[in-house]
Amino acid sequence: MTSQALDLNEEYRDIYQELVNVAMGRAADLLARLLDTYIILPVPKVNLLARTELAMTLAALDKNDRVSAVCQGFSGDRISGEALLLLTDATFPDLAHLLGSESTGSRGNELELLMDTANVLIGACLKGFAEQIDVEFAQSLPEVLGQHRKVDGLFDQPAIPWEQALAIEVTYRLENKESTFELLLLFTSESIEILNNKINFLLEE
Amino acid sequence: MPTPILICDDSAFARKQMIRALPKSWDVEVSQASNGEEALEIIRAGKAEVTFLDLTMPVMDGYETLSIIHSEDLPTMVIVVSGDIQPEAMQRVKKLGAMEFIRKPITSEKAKETLVTYGIVQEGEI
Repeated sequence: MTSQALDLNEEYRDIYQELVNVAMGRAADLLARLLDTYIILPVPKVNLLARTELAMTLAALDKNDRVSAVCQGFSGDRISGEALLLLTDATFPDLAHLLGSESTGSRGNELELLMDTANVLIGACLKGFAEQIDVEFAQSLPEVLGQHRKVDGLFDQPAIPWEQALAIEVTYRLENKESTFELLLLFTSESIEILNNKINFLLEE
Repeated sequence: MPTPILICDDSAFARKQMIRALPKSWDVEVSQASNGEEALEIIRAGKAEVTFLDLTMPVMDGYETLSIIHSEDLPTMVIVVSGDIQPEAMQRVKKLGAMEFIRKPITSEKAKETLVTYGIVQEGEI
């Protein structure tokens, strides 16, 4: 599919934003209960983008920030894509502190924090999104893209091959902390038409 | 006379969902706002006996809007309708004077139940 074929009008953009608003709220609720804190929710950002633009769109991240990232593919009802979770290095001490764990700094422990956070946020957000459009997604196993590295080059090997995608970006912040969590839902260009049809159904109901 | 109500949400889709969930026979005059600033203008003009308020919005979010309504004692009953369903969010909006918290997406059952519970509409009326 060529980039010209991809188009996202204002009405659909608004609906994707709202569907993710509800989904990310559920995900944040789970994590907030786990960490016993309040998570500040953003207005989700919806964009069509090329894979090459991905690193650039992670607006909340400083170019020099070191991050750890997990990706997880999902598919169902001819819709497919991948979810990404990025945590900046500053996040791990905050997470460990909130969970009352003392042994910060070890890579193994941080890997566990990364995977646990990804499980909660990605799982709940995908489920919340899928429920609203009445589909079910199967998730592939989560994969670590890297630990403590720059964003550049992080996305060179996708879980699902795609060139263009509908990207929905959510930047969670822990209240009174510097930590941010970047959650991205990427839907392949082939999925967009099917998603739009599901949305048309929502509009008619 | 129709009851003046306000629906404040940055998403046009969410506002549409909200309007659809209201009891069909409830006689209302609906105003809409896409952020807190617009909402306050409508409330100050006396056009919002009941306000359905989202929390996560650009320009002015629901928390700030609520605290201004609260501190200026503006004449509206606020029902928060939000995707932010953290326990802390619910506690904060109640503390700021919101009458009720409804989680998104709102259903017509929940809308009716809330309106009846707070005596905004009578059971037999709708």
